[in-house]
Amino acid sequence: MSQKVILLIEDNSDDEELALLAFQRSNVANDVVVARDGVEALDYLFGTGPHAGRDVSILPQVVLLDLKLPKVDGLEVLRRVRADPRTRRLPVVVLTSSKEEEDMIGSYDLGANSYVRKPVEFERFVEAVKQLQLYWLVLNEPPPNR
Amino acid sequence: MRAFAQSIVESVRHPLVLLDAGLRVSAANSAFHAAFGVPDVEAPGRPRFALDAGWLDIPGLLERVERVATTGQPFEGFEVEHDLAGAGPKALRLNARRVVSDEDGTPMILVAVEDVTDKRRAEAALHRLNDELEARVRERTAQLEAANREMEAFCYSVSHDLRAPLRAIDGFAQELLRTYADRVDDRGRHYLTRVRAGSQRMAGLIDDLLQLSRLSRVEMTWGSVDLSALATAVVADLRHLHPDRQVTFVLQPGVTARGDAGLLRVALENLLGNAWKFTSKKTDATVTFGQQGGEAGFYVRDDGAGFDPAFAGKLFGAFQRLHHDRDFPGTGIGLATVQRVAHRHGGTVRAEGAVGQGATFYFTLPPGDDA
Repeated sequence: MSQKVILLIEDNSDDEELALLAFQRSNVANDVVVARDGVEALDYLFGTGPHAGRDVSILPQVVLLDLKLPKVDGLEVLRRVRADPRTRRLPVVVLTSSKEEEDMIGSYDLGANSYVRKPVEFERFVEAVKQLQLYWLVLNEPPPNR
Repeated sequence: MRAFAQSIVESVRHPLVLLDAGLRVSAANSAFHAAFGVPDVEAPGRPRFALDAGWLDIPGLLERVERVATTGQPFEGFEVEHDLAGAGPKALRLNARRVVSDEDGTPMILVAVEDVTDKRRAEAALHRLNDELEARVRERTAQLEAANREMEAFCYSVSHDLRAPLRAIDGFAQELLRTYADRVDDRGRHYLTRVRAGSQRMAGLIDDLLQLSRLSRVEMTWGSVDLSALATAVVADLRHLHPDRQVTFVLQPGVTARGDAGLLRVALENLLGNAWKFTSKKTDATVTFGQQGGEAGFYVRDDGAGFDPAFAGKLFGAFQRLHHDRDFPGTGIGLATVQRVAHRHGGTVRAEGAVGQGATFYFTLPPGDDA
C-alpha cells in the first residue's frame, strides 16, 4: 500500500511546527501537506488554483482540520468536503483549541470523524498525535477508493 | 318626601338631571348646573331647558334618552368627549333610566353624568408609560443580546487565541529541554521548567475562567434535584481520583432542591472538592453535607485548614486565594463559581471558619415545592 499523505489544515505557524515535531516524535512516516487556510485546503482537495492538475482521486489518509481559519473557516471546509461525492467519506479529524459546545456540535453535525482539543502541554499534544496516527494511519481502514 | 329626595340628589357630587316626558329639564342638582353652566332651572322666571336646545349637544345622546323614554330600557356607560362650559374638554360617562314620580306617577328620566376625565387621563398615561416601558425593555434586551454576543465572541477568542501562544511557549521550551539537553545546564533547565509551569498554569486559569463564563451563559433547566445523590456521585469521583486519601464523608440522605442539576453539580463539585483539598494535610478528615432546618440552607463542612475570617469577604471573588499555591494549589475560581451558581438560582452563599478549625460553606436556593 502506498503511503498516503496527511493533510494538516492549520493557519498558526507555531502550531504547524509543533504538529510537525509531534509527528516526527511519533514516527509518522507519511508526508504531511500543510494548508494554511480554508481556500488552500479546498484547492488541494479539489485540484483547483495552485493545485490544478493534481490527481484528486488520491485522497489524504486523514485530514487534521483546525476550525478557526482565515478566508474559509474549518466548519465551511468540512461542509464542502462532505458535500462533494469525491471527498464525502474522507476521514476528517477536527484538531482545535476550542472547547465551545457549538464548535463540537457543528463539527459532528457536519460529519467530522473525531474532535480532538489541542492540549497546551506539549507532551500531551505529542501523546494525542501518537494516538491519532495509531488510530487513523494504522488501525482504521480507510473508505474504499471509488 | 320630595324635599328629602331632593336633598339626597343635591348631595351627590356627580351631575344629575331629571327630565320630563318632553325631555325638558325638570330638576337638576347643583353639580349639574356647575358642570354644564346651565342657569338654575328652578329659579323663578327662568325658562326650562329642553335637552335638544343645544346646551347638551352630545351626538347620540338625544336618541338614547328618547329610547329610554319610549322603551324603559336604561343605558349605562355611554362615554363621550364633551366641551364643558368653562371647563374645557371632558370625558363623560352617562347613565340614564326611567323613574316614576312619587307624586303623580308620571314617568321621568334620570340622567347621571360622571366626569371620568382624570381616570381616562390616568389610564392614557399608564398606557403611554407601559408602551415606553416596553420600548425600553426591548431596547435593553437588544443591548443585552448584543453584549452577550460580544461575550460569546470574547470567550471564543479566549479559548482559541489565548491558548495558541501558550502551546508554543510550552512546546518549544519542552523541545529545548529535550533536544538541547546537553547544552543547557541545571540553572537553564530550572528556568525552562518554570516557563513551562507558567504556561500550563495560565492554561488552567483560562479554562477555569471559561467555565465561569459558561456558567453565566448556559440556559437553566429547572427541576427537582436530588442533592444527596449528586454529592454521593461527586464524592465517588474524588475517591476514584485520590484512592490514597482517608476521608470520612457524612452525607445527609434525601436532601432535594429545585434548580438546575448541571449547575448544582458544578457547585457541589467545587465545594466538596475544596473540602477534600483543604483537608489533605490531615490523616483522618471528615466532610459533612446536609441541609439546615427551616429555610432551604445547605452546607458543606470540613475540618481542614480553615481560613482567617478577616478575609471571608474575599473568598468568593474570582482569582482570590487565601492560601499559598505551594500549600494548596488552585486557581481561585472555585468559590466564585459556587457563588455564580447560587446567584443564578436567586440564592446566596456565605462561609464560616477559622484558621486550623475547618470551614463551613452555606448556600441557599429559593424554596420550591421540592425544597
